[in-house]
Amino acid sequence: MFPTGCDPLSASIIARDVSVEFPIYENSHRSLKKAVFNLSTGGKIGQDAKHHSVVRALDGLNFDFQEGARVGLVGHNGSGKSTLLRVLSGVYAPVHGDLKIQGKVASILDVSMGLDPDATGFENIYLRGILDGLTPATIRNKTDEIADFTDLGDFLNLPVRTYSSGMVLRLAFAISTSIDADILIMDEWLNVGDAEFSAKAAVRLGSLVDKASILVIATHDPNLVAKICNRRIHLQHGRIIEDEIISTAARKSI
Amino acid sequence: MTNGSTTHNERNDLFIGMRASQIWGTLGWHDIRQRYRRSFLGPFWFTLSTLIMVVVLGELYSTLLQQEITNYLPYLAVGLVIWQYLASSVNEGCTSFIGSAYLINQIRLPLTVHVCRIAWRNFVILLHSLPVVVIMLIASGHWPSPAFFLVPLALFLLLLHGVWIGVVLGMFCARFRDISQIVTNLVQVAFFFTPVMWSPEILKDRAWVATCNPLYHLIEIVRAPIIGRPIHFESWVWSVGFLIIGFGFAQYLMQRYRNRVPYWL
Repeated sequence: MFPTGCDPLSASIIARDVSVEFPIYENSHRSLKKAVFNLSTGGKIGQDAKHHSVVRALDGLNFDFQEGARVGLVGHNGSGKSTLLRVLSGVYAPVHGDLKIQGKVASILDVSMGLDPDATGFENIYLRGILDGLTPATIRNKTDEIADFTDLGDFLNLPVRTYSSGMVLRLAFAISTSIDADILIMDEWLNVGDAEFSAKAAVRLGSLVDKASILVIATHDPNLVAKICNRRIHLQHGRIIEDEIISTAARKSI
Repeated sequence: MTNGSTTHNERNDLFIGMRASQIWGTLGWHDIRQRYRRSFLGPFWFTLSTLIMVVVLGELYSTLLQQEITNYLPYLAVGLVIWQYLASSVNEGCTSFIGSAYLINQIRLPLTVHVCRIAWRNFVILLHSLPVVVIMLIASGHWPSPAFFLVPLALFLLLLHGVWIGVVLGMFCARFRDISQIVTNLVQVAFFFTPVMWSPEILKDRAWVATCNPLYHLIEIVRAPIIGRPIHFESWVWSVGFLIIGFGFAQYLMQRYRNRVPYWL
């Protein structure tokens, strides 16, 4: 199923016993009063503070994704899909275990990330490019392409807060799909805009997915998994309860 | 194509973050442009409001403290401008990570980038306020001394101080949400203990109140060469020493807690 080209430079994700726990700081826990109080009294409450409750979002995950992997993450709300995506995109470091990622990672978790409503469309394109680590020259080259795709024309010179919500989504979509990366991390397939734009968007997203050598997508849509994925991982309470290779995966997405 | 933003870890976060000047420079400028969008004077509001403050306070306090106004105005101008920079570095340093949570939880960047953004923003504001100092110097007939060449170096030191302050306070405040309130109060108190409006000479035998205050030395490395006060080697030792200790502490916190910060936000 997976191409066997496993030279050290090819993209890969290897997880060994990866766990993530979120500490829950209630108001009093997060305050200094508590910490100082603990210092002076020691003993009992000190232990209490060290053992504050945690939410174990991911629990001992093991997996290998090699080039060509098209992984669909499925599971109920709160099963750990989005947390896993954030771990893979490098936001959360695993609390326990090892995670080795080879290759450039790009993630589409929240399309409107960092969009500044008071800045113009063009400024937002530039800002987002800078955040993605692009040089000003590269961004300038991409700007025209993004602007064309949105069909927003002169609106790109106006502040984003003057846009309709559909227009904001168009811009956000065009910006977040202008990335290129070896490993693509997505939270749900993106559907934006009216029928015409939606078709155009699907083509763009499809080619982005095709270019990536590894795709990890979290979704609630079983048809999507059947259509674009060759591996399905079912999460429940932060554990992998099913990890299967889908043999009938259509190589062409869309 | 890549600026190394994907290869950083808890050990080199400070170094790689500070080198990613493209990112923090753009974000910092963007902040300033946002604040003054549609305003006619734009960032020169910083210049104007500093000017008003210096003139009004200068008139009042030169009388209260019985100082020669031509000496007092430049003294006060430099002091206030640098103080504003230090105070906002400390106050905004508290929110360096909390305020950037929307980015930290979405995209992996060196955490130091978010701190440098704030330091740079405040530094640009400082540069916009400096013309007031020049105006005061000219108005009171001072000419820069040869030691003036020390000023850019001193300003650069202040920029670096902004970085470690933001890392250290940002980490503490992300974990313990009360600290920023405490810090805000301390900064207010510190203003009166730091020779900004008054000079340490009037303390006579209690001058240690000033000379043991690192903030005084941070102000003095800029103030002394600008207005031609004697340059104290001691102030440079304090400033550089304080910088080394600060960065050492920031590095320690990064190594221990860098990966915990996203969980705290």
